[in-house]
Amino acid sequence: MAAAIEIRDLGFSYTPGNPVLENINLDIEAGEKFGIIGPMGSGKSTLLLQLNGILRGSGTVRIGGTILNDKTLGLIRRRLGLVFQNPDDQLFNPTVEEDVAFGPLNFGYSPEEVTARVGEALEAMKLAGFEKSLSHHLSMGERKRVALATVLAAKPEVIAFDEPFSSLDPSMLMQLLDIINGLEATLVIVSQSLLPLVSCCRRLALLNNGGIVAVGPVKDILRDDELLRANGLDLGYYKKIYGELF
Amino acid sequence: MKHSFIDRYSDLDSPVHRIDSRVKLLLVFLAIITVVSEPQARLFPFAFYGGLILVLILMSRLPLVFVLKRFMLLSPFILLAALFYPVSLLISKEAQLASIRDEPFRVALSIFCKAGLSILLLIWLISTEKFHNLLIGMRKLRMPRLIGIISALMYRYIFIFGDEALKTTRARESRTPGKLKMNKVKVYSNQMAMIFLRSWERSVMIYQSMLSRGFSGELPAMQRMAINRNDMLFFVSFVLGLLAIRFFVDPLVTGF
Repeated sequence: MAAAIEIRDLGFSYTPGNPVLENINLDIEAGEKFGIIGPMGSGKSTLLLQLNGILRGSGTVRIGGTILNDKTLGLIRRRLGLVFQNPDDQLFNPTVEEDVAFGPLNFGYSPEEVTARVGEALEAMKLAGFEKSLSHHLSMGERKRVALATVLAAKPEVIAFDEPFSSLDPSMLMQLLDIINGLEATLVIVSQSLLPLVSCCRRLALLNNGGIVAVGPVKDILRDDELLRANGLDLGYYKKIYGELF
Repeated sequence: MKHSFIDRYSDLDSPVHRIDSRVKLLLVFLAIITVVSEPQARLFPFAFYGGLILVLILMSRLPLVFVLKRFMLLSPFILLAALFYPVSLLISKEAQLASIRDEPFRVALSIFCKAGLSILLLIWLISTEKFHNLLIGMRKLRMPRLIGIISALMYRYIFIFGDEALKTTRARESRTPGKLKMNKVKVYSNQMAMIFLRSWERSVMIYQSMLSRGFSGELPAMQRMAINRNDMLFFVSFVLGLLAIRFFVDPLVTGF
């Protein structure tokens, strides 16, 4: 069976001579929940944008066995949905319903099918009844769920999240983790918040200076203090606070 | 930020709100052409056109105060246009039209009426139909695709611009006890530049999110549009009203 995501020798730079990604090689299995961590500016979000061709670098990216190129761009975007960090960047239609319908309509589904998908996606996000609500009047937690619904409505095989856990209070975080854990699609989650990844991911990749430093089981990576410190991530502070509190 | 800032009251439920957006677009287009093509010598028909528009507004259950406020907001521009045109002709050496030279007030009034009535029609249009539906209607009426996309994105980006302006203003005011003591020009120009940059960045992100969901230059619509008998009846009645004013009002009221 083909890997859900297969990246080979990927490189990318916004300006010549300043590579943001270099020699990235990564395989993510179908159905896997995979986390990508790294310090700020390490290239995590840039890597996500490579997955559905928003940004294009050198090397190859395969989604569900299909190589990403101009001809397959539509298919790839149907297969891989991207949830942006800031829901306000994702929600650009006046109402929740129109925003959730945007993807399926663009992918050519009939209005009846789109209506059904919108209903399903909102139901899954516990947002039934919000169809006519104005996106801009919702709370951050609700907007995050609408943003996820906009992607779920297209029923992608892979969902890539960019910092899904930022700006959420603990109860919203728990809600989102429940939703993420309940998703059947392959998930790629980029996050600065390391702890939530423990509860939803099996493997992690550590990215720094545009390259993959380590790939392995979540607990192995997060227990390696030396590796984390050397790459700008340190859980020591959290461990200290946790030790004092409990 | 309120997203209904532009098409406020488009959510109302009235017989006019239920009319297909294409019918409304065509009516407004025809009405503007009819009003604008009135000869400058005829002023009285404008009162009838105004009456017809008033009927439309009342049928739509739009608050008259709201319509009036929107109109007042734009009236200085109309007034300036109305005044400048005859004045420029009067002082111009090339002014050859005796009618304009002789009747600058009538010309100014004619321009004011034409522009004013057109503005009222547009206020009525955007208050009785969601902007998104108007775009769909325009596309169904074979409007060039590019204009539709540009209009849709402009509509969206107005709110981004507004959002960023609001955020930066709050940030400035929260650190400004009382009056601004710094060089105001510098502060405001810095703020403007920041609003522009931040709006630009957000626009790029939004565009990327649109691409991610299959956007390829089309803005597909969820609902199917259908023109029914009520729409046709409304259209025919309104067009008959326009034609009656255009061709039969003047003989009834002569000398004005």
